[in-house]
Amino acid sequence: MKLLFELNGVPQYLDVEPGERLLRLLRRLGMKSVKEGCGTGDCGACTVLVDGRAVRSCLMVAPQVQGRRVLTLEGLGSVDDPHPLQQAFLDAGAVQCGFCTPGMILVAYELLQGNDDPSPEDVRKAIAGNLCRCTGYVKIADAVLLAARWKQEGKWR
Amino acid sequence: MSGVHARGVRRFHFARDVEEALSLLAAYEGRGALLAGGVDLLRSLRVDIEGLIDITRIGLSYTKEARGGLAIGGTTTLTSILESRAAREYGGGILADLLHRVAVPPLRNMATLGGALVSAHPWADIPTALVALGAEVRWQGEKEGRVPVEELYQGPFRGLFRQAVAIEVLLPPWDGAFAYEKVGRTGYDIALLNACCGVGVEGGRIAWARVAVGARPDRGERLPWAEEALIGQRPSQTLWQEVQDLVAKRIEVGDDRRASGAWRREVAGVLVERALARASGRAGM
Ligand SMILES: Cc1cc2nc3c(=O)[nH]c(=O)nc-3n(C[C@H](O)[C@H](O)[C@H](O)COP(=O)(O)OP(=O)(O)OC[C@H]3O[C@@H](n4cnc5c(N)ncnc54)[C@H](O)[C@@H]3O)c2cc1C
Ligand code: FES
Ligand code: FES
Repeated sequence: MKLLFELNGVPQYLDVEPGERLLRLLRRLGMKSVKEGCGTGDCGACTVLVDGRAVRSCLMVAPQVQGRRVLTLEGLGSVDDPHPLQQAFLDAGAVQCGFCTPGMILVAYELLQGNDDPSPEDVRKAIAGNLCRCTGYVKIADAVLLAARWKQEGKWR
Repeated sequence: MSGVHARGVRRFHFARDVEEALSLLAAYEGRGALLAGGVDLLRSLRVDIEGLIDITRIGLSYTKEARGGLAIGGTTTLTSILESRAAREYGGGILADLLHRVAVPPLRNMATLGGALVSAHPWADIPTALVALGAEVRWQGEKEGRVPVEELYQGPFRGLFRQAVAIEVLLPPWDGAFAYEKVGRTGYDIALLNACCGVGVEGGRIAWARVAVGARPDRGERLPWAEEALIGQRPSQTLWQEVQDLVAKRIEVGDDRRASGAWRREVAGVLVERALARASGRAGM
């Protein structure tokens, strides 16, 4: 079937199998930041934003984003031009193997869109469904709080 | 790991209204499924499902005041209930209390109230609260109807929703407050046990009380004898503790791979005591 949606600001019009998972479609389109950790909604590695809200792309089929805006980490920033949240993860030392990082950054992005001044508790609640096997979460939470401070200082986009 | 591809699925439809969803469902003769948030359906999609019928774009997403209580559309996401002004005040803030304990934000952005009502896992949070709150569901299939959720769960409700759409959940007004308690191994894990209690006071005495416990491991049910023990009494910490002891003595619980019945018996009393204490605090007792 034909699917029309916006991926990282670019309109896409293409053929999909009606049962194709959104996760797989996005990877097929080159969005390799979208990871499959569990495939059952538990780990958060496949997180993307649909119309600004974080969702699990492993629990969606592609047609569900018909007419929607999808944002993956690739749409947030790049190696040459990282988004402040990406820079905060680097500065805080919040990345080890990196598998959980795209999902962590996107749930943090959703949080900071609606809340400029999150408490450490707000941050922990926001990332609670994203599993990290490496860091122990402390530096991830630090990174999000650092990014929140930058956002308050106007260093944001 | 579930498949990356729902292999059996041949067609995807956006239903335009309830009638179209129902006629598509009928045309698939059991090989079609209504799709709301998909959190449950797509996590373990039956291999014989050929058609997915998306019902999230038919105008059933809303939370509004209705006759002093609330009316919540069947496809309203848990996040949008949490963000609605109408839900904030209801039952002393019970919906925020409850929904913050259901999964995590990205799953709440997807999961709908109708999906939670219909999937109704025995360990799930929302069914326990709907039973405690005296919720009713309005459904439409070949016929239309309205049924208390408590009664629904005593019958073959899964069969009903293979041929009907849950249109709206109606929450009645309560003069008092509710509180929700859940215990799991982590904040994000599903419940080992959960409880939802509510109380209202008139002239210094408890006028009404609602006590429901779920994940026993069976689905949430009311404990009428615990409610009777509360009605007519003066609210106090001593009373909550008496009810705690009563619950620990009389509740029907069982073992499963998550927890033993003996543990559940002990903890059920504790959760009821905590929920009663918090509910009465919120009701300003
Ligand atoms: C990782 C994970 C964690 C979870 N944690 C929790 C938790 O902590 N607590 C908890 O209670 N639950 C939890 N759940 C379960 C989840 O909340 C429910 O599965 C969810 O509410 C289902 O809603 P949905 O809209 O996604 O339903 P769907 O998956 O779209 O549908 C579920 C079923 O209901 C049917 N259906 C959906 N809407 C309607 C309707 N309006 N009318 C008729 N039939 C309908 C579908 O056909 C399907 O059979 C968790 C699930 C996952 C995957
Ligand atoms: S891959 Fe989607 S939540 Fe783990
Ligand atoms: S950095 Fe390795 S899983 Fe989080």
